[in-house]
Amino acid sequence: METGRSRALWIVASLLILLWTIFPIVWIVMLSFKQPGEIGNVRGFFPRDWTLENYRTVFSTGLFTSALINSIGISLIATFVGVVLATLVAYAIARLDFPGKRLILSFALAIAMFPVVSLVGPLFDLWRDLGLYDTWPGLIIPYISFALPLAIWTLSAFFREIPWELEQAAQVDGATTWQAFRKVIVPLAAPGVFTAAILTFFFCWNDFVFGISLTSTDRARPVPAALAFFTGQSQFEQPTTAVCAAAVVVTIPVVVIVLLFQRRIVAGLTSGAVKG
Amino acid sequence: MTAHVETASAAEPARRAEISDRARAERRLGLLLSAPAVVVMLLVTGYPLLNALYLSLFNYRLTVPQDREFVGLRNYATALSDALFWQDVFTTFLITLITVAVELVLGFGLAMVMHRAVFARRTVRTAILVPYGIVTVISAFAWRYAFDLQSGFVNSWFGLGDFAWFSDRWAALFVICLSEIWKTTPFISLLLLAGLAQVPRDLDEAAMVDGATAWQRLRLVTIPNIKAAILVAVLFRTLDAWRIFDNPFVMTRGQQQTATLSFLTYDQTITRTSIGMGNAVGVLLFLSVVLIAAVFIRGFRVDLSQVRGDR
Amino acid sequence: MSEGARGGRGDHGGRARNGPAGRTRPRAPGRALRGLAAAALLAGGLAACGGDGGTPTLHWYINPDNGGQARLAEACTKAAGGRYRIVTSVLPNDATQQREQLIRRLAAEDDQLDIMSLDPVFVAEAANAGFLRPFDTAEAQRFTRGVFPAAVQSSTWKGRLYAAPFWANTQILWYRKSAARKAGVDPASPGFTWDQMIDAAVRANFTVGAQGSKYEGYMVWINALVASAGGRIISRAERGNDASIDIDSPAGREAARIIRKLARSKAAGPSLSTDIEEQARSMLNGPRGGFMVNWGYTWRAENDDAEHGVIDKGIPADLGWAPYPRVAANRPSRPPFGGIELGIGAYGKYKDTHAVDAVRCITTPENMKKYMLDSGNPAARPEVFDDPEVQREFPMATLIRDSINAAAPRPITPYYTDVSAAVQSRWHPPASVNPQTTPRRSAEFVRAVLRDEALL
Repeated sequence: METGRSRALWIVASLLILLWTIFPIVWIVMLSFKQPGEIGNVRGFFPRDWTLENYRTVFSTGLFTSALINSIGISLIATFVGVVLATLVAYAIARLDFPGKRLILSFALAIAMFPVVSLVGPLFDLWRDLGLYDTWPGLIIPYISFALPLAIWTLSAFFREIPWELEQAAQVDGATTWQAFRKVIVPLAAPGVFTAAILTFFFCWNDFVFGISLTSTDRARPVPAALAFFTGQSQFEQPTTAVCAAAVVVTIPVVVIVLLFQRRIVAGLTSGAVKG
Repeated sequence: MTAHVETASAAEPARRAEISDRARAERRLGLLLSAPAVVVMLLVTGYPLLNALYLSLFNYRLTVPQDREFVGLRNYATALSDALFWQDVFTTFLITLITVAVELVLGFGLAMVMHRAVFARRTVRTAILVPYGIVTVISAFAWRYAFDLQSGFVNSWFGLGDFAWFSDRWAALFVICLSEIWKTTPFISLLLLAGLAQVPRDLDEAAMVDGATAWQRLRLVTIPNIKAAILVAVLFRTLDAWRIFDNPFVMTRGQQQTATLSFLTYDQTITRTSIGMGNAVGVLLFLSVVLIAAVFIRGFRVDLSQVRGDR
Repeated sequence: MSEGARGGRGDHGGRARNGPAGRTRPRAPGRALRGLAAAALLAGGLAACGGDGGTPTLHWYINPDNGGQARLAEACTKAAGGRYRIVTSVLPNDATQQREQLIRRLAAEDDQLDIMSLDPVFVAEAANAGFLRPFDTAEAQRFTRGVFPAAVQSSTWKGRLYAAPFWANTQILWYRKSAARKAGVDPASPGFTWDQMIDAAVRANFTVGAQGSKYEGYMVWINALVASAGGRIISRAERGNDASIDIDSPAGREAARIIRKLARSKAAGPSLSTDIEEQARSMLNGPRGGFMVNWGYTWRAENDDAEHGVIDKGIPADLGWAPYPRVAANRPSRPPFGGIELGIGAYGKYKDTHAVDAVRCITTPENMKKYMLDSGNPAARPEVFDDPEVQREFPMATLIRDSINAAAPRPITPYYTDVSAAVQSRWHPPASVNPQTTPRRSAEFVRAVLRDEALL
C-alpha cells in the first residue's frame, strides 16, 4: 500500500526518532570521558582528551558503589515483593467474585495519582518511630506501595486474557489441580508477570523523592539521590564528569533490559493501560 | 473477557446448592489475596495523609518544638493568599500544559511511526523505550549540562554566545520542559500505540478507497477511534506532570521562579522544617490532584474501566 | 547548581584523591544480605544496624572535602588506642542540604549523630533547639583559646559554647595581575573599593566574578557588603522571631547599590544570577577574566587545573590576591566568614565521654595544620598560619589570617535558614535589586516569614 515517497518519509521519521532518543545518552557518555577540569574551561561536545579517570573515581567512591548496591538490592526486593502481592490481587480480580473488587481497583488508581511529596514529611516521622528511617525496608515499603497499582493493572489485564477453561480441561484429562496450574496456567501467566516485574523495577529504579527524604547515609541511599548529592574535591567544586560516569553506569542495565525485553515491555505498557 | 467466571459457574446448575458455600469461600479467598497489597498501600498513604492533615492545623517548626500552637486553618489561609503559592501554581500549570500538549502531538507521531514503520520497526521501538527506562534525575542532568554555560555545547552549536539559559525564567522552564518531554513522551506514545492497534485496518483502507486524504483519514477515522486512549494518556500524564519535582530540583532548585507545587511543599516541610505550613501546602497539592482527576473523570468522561479492563 | 570541576583528579603532591569515599567498604555482600534479612522482617523493620560489639563507634558527619576529614578520623582513631573508633559519613555539597539532613534527625533525637561538621550559621539553630551538647567552661576554654573571634562568636549561643571551631574560611579578592595592570588599578592598595573595581573592569572590559545564584553563597555576599558598609542584617537574635531586622538601613541600601551596579554592568558575567563559586572561578580563567571574590580553595584549584593543562599554565603566576574590597574607602571591609565547627549531638551515647575526646583530638593545632595542608581549608587558629610549611604551601596565608580576623559572621539566629532564604528571595536576581525598595521589602518579608505568615 505504501508508495515510495511515503516509505522514504517513514524511514526519515524513524531515523529522527533514533537520533532524538539516543542523543542525550551519547552526550552524557561524552561528558563522562572528559577530564574533570575541562568543564568550564574547554567547551565542546566531544572530550578533548579521552580519559577513564571519572570511571575510576566513581568506582573508588564508596558513596557511589554503595548507592549502586542499595539501588539494585532495594529495587529487586521491592519488585519481587510487589509483583507477588500484585499477582495475588490480580488473580483474585480476574478469577474470583468478591465484594470490593471495584473498590480495590479504584483505590489502586488513586494511589497511582498520589502526590508523593505530600507524604514525605509525615512518612519521615512515622519511619523514625518505627526505626525504618535510612534502612532498606524504609524504601522498599513505599516503593512497593507506589509500584503496586501499575503492577496490578498490568497483571489483571493479562490475567483476563488467559483462557482459564484450559485449567479445567487439563483436570478433566486427569491432571491434578497443582499440575494443571503449573503446566497450563503458569506458562500462560509468566509473560505478564515478567512484564509487570520489569515495569515495577523501572519504577523503583527511578525514584528520587523518597530516596532523598527517607535516607541519610550510604546505608540505604539509592543512586538517583546519591547523584544529586555527589561531591567534588572541595565543597565548592561540582563533580560534573563524575556524575556523568555514574549516570552511564546506572543507565547500562536499563539499556540492556530494554534491548532484551523490548517486546514484553511494549506489551505490558499497552495492554495494562488501554484495552478495547 | 470478564465473563469467564460467571459463565463457568452458570454452566453448572447441578451444583446450585453448593454455590452459596462456594461463593462465600471465593469471597474469603478474594479478600485474603487482596489484603496484603491493600494494607501496604494504606500504610504508606492513609496514615501519613491523616497525619499531614492533623499537623497542617498547627504552627509548628521542627527546630522550635516548644512553640507549637494550634492555629486551625490559618496555614491554609496564609498559603492561599500568598503570591508565591499562586506563582508556583501557575508555573506548574504552564509546565503541565506545555509538556502534555507537546507530548501528545509528538507521542502520536511516534506511535504512528511505530505502528506503520516498515523500516527498523524493532529498533525504533527499542530506541523509544530508552528514555522511558532512564532515571529522571539522569535525564535532568544530561539536559542541564547540555545547556549550561560551563559544560554545554548548545550555545556554541547554535551560535547563542553566552546566553545563560538558567538565568532566565522562560529559558529555564524551556529546558525543564524539554527534559520532561524527552523522558515521558515514550510513555504517552505507547498508550497511543495500543489505541492504534485497535483501529480496524479496513476502515482506514475503505476511507482511502473513497478518496480521503491522509489528513481526512487521520481526523475522521483514526482519532475518533483512539479517543479513549488519548484521554487516558492525557489524564495520566497531566497528573504526572502536575507533580513534577525531579527536573526542577536538579536543574534550577526552583530558582528564577521555576519552583513547582511539589517543590514548594518540599521547601516548606524539608528545607524550612516548617511542619505545619509545609503540610498545609502538601494537603493543597493533594486536593489539586483530586480536583484534576475529578474534572477528567467527570468532565471528559474518561472511561477508567478501560484502564482497569473490567468492562 | 553548577558545574565546574572535577570529580576526582590525581592530586599533586602524592595525596591520592579518594574523595568523600576513600573509606574502605569491603562489606558489600554483607550489606546485601542484611537487606534481604530486612525484607524478610518487613513489618517489624528491626533489621540492620546493631553494633559489632567491642569498640564504641563514633559517627562523624562531615561536609565534603578531599578526604582530609576521613584521614583525621583515622588518625584520631589510632590516637584513641582502641577506646573508640571514628567512622565518617559525607553530607551533601550544599550547606543548606547539609543542615536539612542533620536537623531532621536531630529533631528525632537520633543517637547516631555523635559528631557533626556544622556550617557556622547553623549552630545557633541547633543549639537553641537543644540538639547540641553544650561544652562546660573548662572544655570551652580549651576549644576557644587562640581561636579566631568570628569562629568563637558563631559557635556560641546565649553565652555557652555549643561547637568547637575546626577550620575557618574567608573570601579574598582574587585578580589577574595582567588585567589589573591594563585597567590601571592596584587592588592591593589600601582602600580599594567595589566601585573602583567595577569601574576599572568596565573600562578595560574585564569581568568581576561573584556568587549571585539564589543560594547560601549569595547571602554570604550580601552580608559581607552590608557589614562592610557598617550595618547588619538582623540583631537581637535572642528574641527569636521578634528579632530586630536591620537590613532596611543606609548600609543595606549601600549593599543593594553595589550589587545592582555590578549586575547591570558589563563587568558581570552573563550568568551572574546562577553563578556559584566555580562559575566565578572559570570566568576568571576566561579571556575577559579580571577580578573575583572567592574562598581560599581557589589557590589549590587553580594550580591543579594548570597542572592538568585545562587552563593556561601561566595563569597561577598571573594570579594576584588582595583584601576583600571595601564598600567605602575609609572603612575597612568585613569579609565573609565561613568554615566548619564541630558539634556534638545531644542524644549520642558517648556525648560526654568519647565524643568530647575525639573533638579535642581533631581540633588540636597540629591536626588543624595537618588538615589545612591536606585539604587546603584554613585552620581556625591564627597560630597555624605562621607555620613555615603553611606559608610555603599558601603564599597568601597571612592575608587569609588577617581577613578571617576581620571577618563578619552572618546573622547568628536560630531562624537563620528562614532569614537567609527570605533575604535571597527578595534580593534575587542581582540585576533586579533596587536600593530604594529591595532592603525595605526584604525586611518586611523576613518579618513575615519569621512569623510563618508567608511561604518561602
